[in-house]
Amino acid sequence: MRSQKNFYFALTAAIIGFMVAIQFRTVSEPVVRDTRDTWELREDLMAEKEIQSQLLLEIRSNEEKLTKYKNERQQSKAMVLKDTLSELKSEAGLTKVSGPGVILTLYPIGEELGAEVPVSYVSPSLLKRLLNELNLNGAIHAAVDGQRVINTTVIRDINKETKINGRSLKRFPLEIKVIAASAQDAEKLYNRMQASQVIEDFFIDNLQVSIKKPQTDIEIPAYEDTVRIRFMEPVETAKGGG
Amino acid sequence: MWLPFMGLVIGVIIGLLTDIRIPEEYSNYLSIAILAALDTMFGGIRAQLQNIYDEKVFVSGFFFNILLAASLAFLGVHLGVDLYLAAVFAFGVRLFQNIAVIRRILLAKWSSNGEK
Repeated sequence: MRSQKNFYFALTAAIIGFMVAIQFRTVSEPVVRDTRDTWELREDLMAEKEIQSQLLLEIRSNEEKLTKYKNERQQSKAMVLKDTLSELKSEAGLTKVSGPGVILTLYPIGEELGAEVPVSYVSPSLLKRLLNELNLNGAIHAAVDGQRVINTTVIRDINKETKINGRSLKRFPLEIKVIAASAQDAEKLYNRMQASQVIEDFFIDNLQVSIKKPQTDIEIPAYEDTVRIRFMEPVETAKGGG
Repeated sequence: MWLPFMGLVIGVIIGLLTDIRIPEEYSNYLSIAILAALDTMFGGIRAQLQNIYDEKVFVSGFFFNILLAASLAFLGVHLGVDLYLAAVFAFGVRLFQNIAVIRRILLAKWSSNGEK
């Protein structure tokens, strides 16, 4: 009887001790006091300063290396090649471009006249003429309905659907984004296109062309597919450096 | 007599060795639980000295007091009233009373022993 009582007391005491220990650990954050005197502090400071100067030296040498590498890289042939490649890519239309330009919108004429004229067709020849006219008047990059127009782009009629880069032009209004070399050129392009004959010609297809005022920043997407070259071959140079 | 002390020491050692830390916001509950446990402990010692000790009362009182105190603190937090102060007050007063009774009984025993 007595031992059982003692056991219960011990158990209770153990639980209390456990809780007290946990509470103690939780509440009391160990406070570390700094007990160094002046000389010790000075020594520590010296040591730290030495480390600092060492680190500074390392930083300097690393920076020197970095500039050396940078210089080497800039003068290397690979860099020149890379530059050329990216230049050519942007020229071929494989990169996204943005700049000043105008946006032309083709929309069915019926909407304004009130008559229901079914339009789901823009003739490829007309579109080609429009693009030619744009190019003639200073356009550098162009995209029709989000499709980039590059040198090998074909616009043609396949099963009575006009396709550009293999994608159908069925959704109207159709947006043609054009980028010119500069803001002045964009302005010039805008003025010339307003007086252009092609705009009138679209009327035959029941389409109307509206040209928005030149904007400073128009973005044209990159050409999505790979450019296939089938009938071109590099010129073989004659042996002996001819 | 030594077994409860051993229990206390063992509990403290286990608590320190296991490296358990409860979140700061729960330390209130734990502190009040400790207070309740201490109260029950001293109540048990007093009852033992007065020869009215009952095991069931002691064990049930131990856990029940802890739970009650913790839930009171919990309720207080959610009601926005410092309700745990009530528990602290009650347990504190009882703790002092119990210790006073224990002291008197021990003093009486000691003096009666001295007279022999």
